[in-house]
Amino acid sequence: MSKYTDNLWRDIAREHGAALALAERPEAAGTSFLRRPRVLAGSTLGLAGAGVAVFLAVGAASSTPAFAVTKDADGSVLVNINQITSLPHGGNAKLAAMGVGGLIIQMAGGPATVSGPVTCTRAPGATGPIVKILVGKNGTEVIAPGATPGNTGVGTWHLASCQTTGPDTGGTGNTGQ
Amino acid sequence: MKTIRERPAATRPRGRPPSSLLEEFEQVYLRNVDVLMGYFARRCRDPQMVADLTSETFVRAVDGFARFDPRRGSDRAWLFGIAAHVFARHCEQSAGGRDAAARLGGYRPLDEDEIEEVAERIDAERKAAELMRRFAWLPAVERAAIELVDLEGLTPREAAVALGVSRVAFRKRLSRARSRLREGAAEQ
Repeated sequence: MSKYTDNLWRDIAREHGAALALAERPEAAGTSFLRRPRVLAGSTLGLAGAGVAVFLAVGAASSTPAFAVTKDADGSVLVNINQITSLPHGGNAKLAAMGVGGLIIQMAGGPATVSGPVTCTRAPGATGPIVKILVGKNGTEVIAPGATPGNTGVGTWHLASCQTTGPDTGGTGNTGQ
Repeated sequence: MKTIRERPAATRPRGRPPSSLLEEFEQVYLRNVDVLMGYFARRCRDPQMVADLTSETFVRAVDGFARFDPRRGSDRAWLFGIAAHVFARHCEQSAGGRDAAARLGGYRPLDEDEIEEVAERIDAERKAAELMRRFAWLPAVERAAIELVDLEGLTPREAAVALGVSRVAFRKRLSRARSRLREGAAEQ
């Protein structure tokens, strides 16, 4: 790759990568071009069969995440993802207030092999507190048929990986928009 | 004349399908960035402007990539469609006398190495640019048809998608353009 094309790709990935990682392509009626992840009710979080990277955009005014955010005594942030129970809105703002820029979460089918919360890694350059994520009550989320309307993710799910990112989710810099 | 035709290596391991739209877009970028630079290099002699127009095209493309449906046409045809809009907007705003930097939102200035790379790309397109100038007497829509099919190697179907016209309309344009060129060559 030439220096120019390399730098251009770096700029595009930095400024638009998070949004594209979150995006999904609309599925045409009657086709199965892309499997649409089951989206938790009122949430930015989605689950797909083999695992999908999801970016929780912190501070997005329109998002109403189905996750609870608490701060532990050691200063770490615990995010509890559980769509079964009713969780308070405003979790994104709470994460932002705790200095967490964003989270990229990879879910996978099946039960968790280890019970309890998973500690997120940090993307290069990311700052902020240690973030732990607990799926369900012990690391496994069980989605029963009919739990949420249109739910295609029936079964058990666990967190495959998570990473904290910087606060910049795009919209600034040389986008020319 | 030195050309920059090498295709950059993908960062994704070979054989594994893209797992996200971002990875998929990276492949689209790698396949097309050099071709798109060539498209603008035939139209502009200023490396910074070629770079800015290429950047603008890919920024628009990344914003709309979730709506791109590969079943309806190739990514290259889709990108040429965006590039044509970007260039048309550039021309309109240039005609309006607006500052070049303001026109495109102020992309990152190229450093010396990058200027040299893009200038080489412009050089590599010099013959094609001369050819297009010789066809300048053709109506713009017919010139675009010739360029996309005969210079860029798109199929008529892909070129029709790029230009936003039906396949039938595109074939008529292409056929008319080739007839005119034959007649023009016979007269010389």
